[in-house]
Amino acid sequence: MSLEGKLALVTGGGRGIGKSIALKLASQGADVIVNFFRHRETAAETAREIEALGVKAETIRANVGDPAKINEMFDTIESKHGRLDILISNAASGVGRPVMEVDTKAWEWTMDINARALLLCTQRAARLMEGRGGKVVGISSLGSHYVLPNYTVVGVSKAALEALTRYLAIELAPQNICINTVAASAVETDALKFYFKEGLANASHYLTPAGRMVTPEDVANVVAFLCSEEAFMIRGQTVIVDGGTSVGLFAAAGKGGE
Amino acid sequence: MTVEEQIREIVARITRVDPTIITRESTFKDIKADSLDVVQALVAVEELFEIEIPDEEAQKFQSFGDFVSYVESRVSKAGKV
Repeated sequence: MSLEGKLALVTGGGRGIGKSIALKLASQGADVIVNFFRHRETAAETAREIEALGVKAETIRANVGDPAKINEMFDTIESKHGRLDILISNAASGVGRPVMEVDTKAWEWTMDINARALLLCTQRAARLMEGRGGKVVGISSLGSHYVLPNYTVVGVSKAALEALTRYLAIELAPQNICINTVAASAVETDALKFYFKEGLANASHYLTPAGRMVTPEDVANVVAFLCSEEAFMIRGQTVIVDGGTSVGLFAAAGKGGE
Repeated sequence: MTVEEQIREIVARITRVDPTIITRESTFKDIKADSLDVVQALVAVEELFEIEIPDEEAQKFQSFGDFVSYVESRVSKAGKV
């Protein structure tokens, strides 16, 4: 699985799952553009770690919730590189509230960053992949299918992301662009700490049959596979990385939550 | 416009409150700013003043005045304004 000579953009690539994905792609030989929004120094540190792996790295600031900023980011990539091989639409945000407290502002903020960004970034990326093909991977969560506490807006945005993945995969298939999504259960990151604070998460919900929580590396491994030629025939899928949590729900209930 | 006035305008626009009720002593709760409002205000202020406000610093803000003072110190250090 070599990604030598490939150029990858990882949105939200400075920390958490995005950082692990950026490092994994780099370890396989890809040059990586690390997009960040508010944490420049963290992104710069990730870029240094990528360079230590012997590939090129750069950082680029953009709020992927803002179409103008997405365009500026791709304008920069286009003029500087003129191409892109891999797009990882990983950046995400959210507002933790029960359904009755979800307002239009929380809805739009979350949908724009989590779902619309995949559409807008892929539209721009596809132009840079023209004639060469490419890979696009989105990052979702179990909240698209299953109800998690105070997760409404994020869960709905992830469901939109997964549906969008299917449409993009089919319409861009003739251009040899492979588009899939990876959905993880709770992953040990700073974002999860934030969700605990917002009352979204409770460790007991995330006990997995595999015996431990999902790590950013677990997600990155699958993303890297989807970016490889070996995954060429996988299109429009959402691959679940949850240590068996989702398929084991009833078994867990049967054991009385033991 | 002073730094304080510019930040007041941003916060009032985001939280949709009358800017005149926002004083240095106002807490985010007083002006009914939720966690998303705070993030959006941080982003708008960062873009306007071309600074970055680490989350660890932002979490220390107890009042509108703390927010303004922090930005003032950053902006004067950078030699702007």
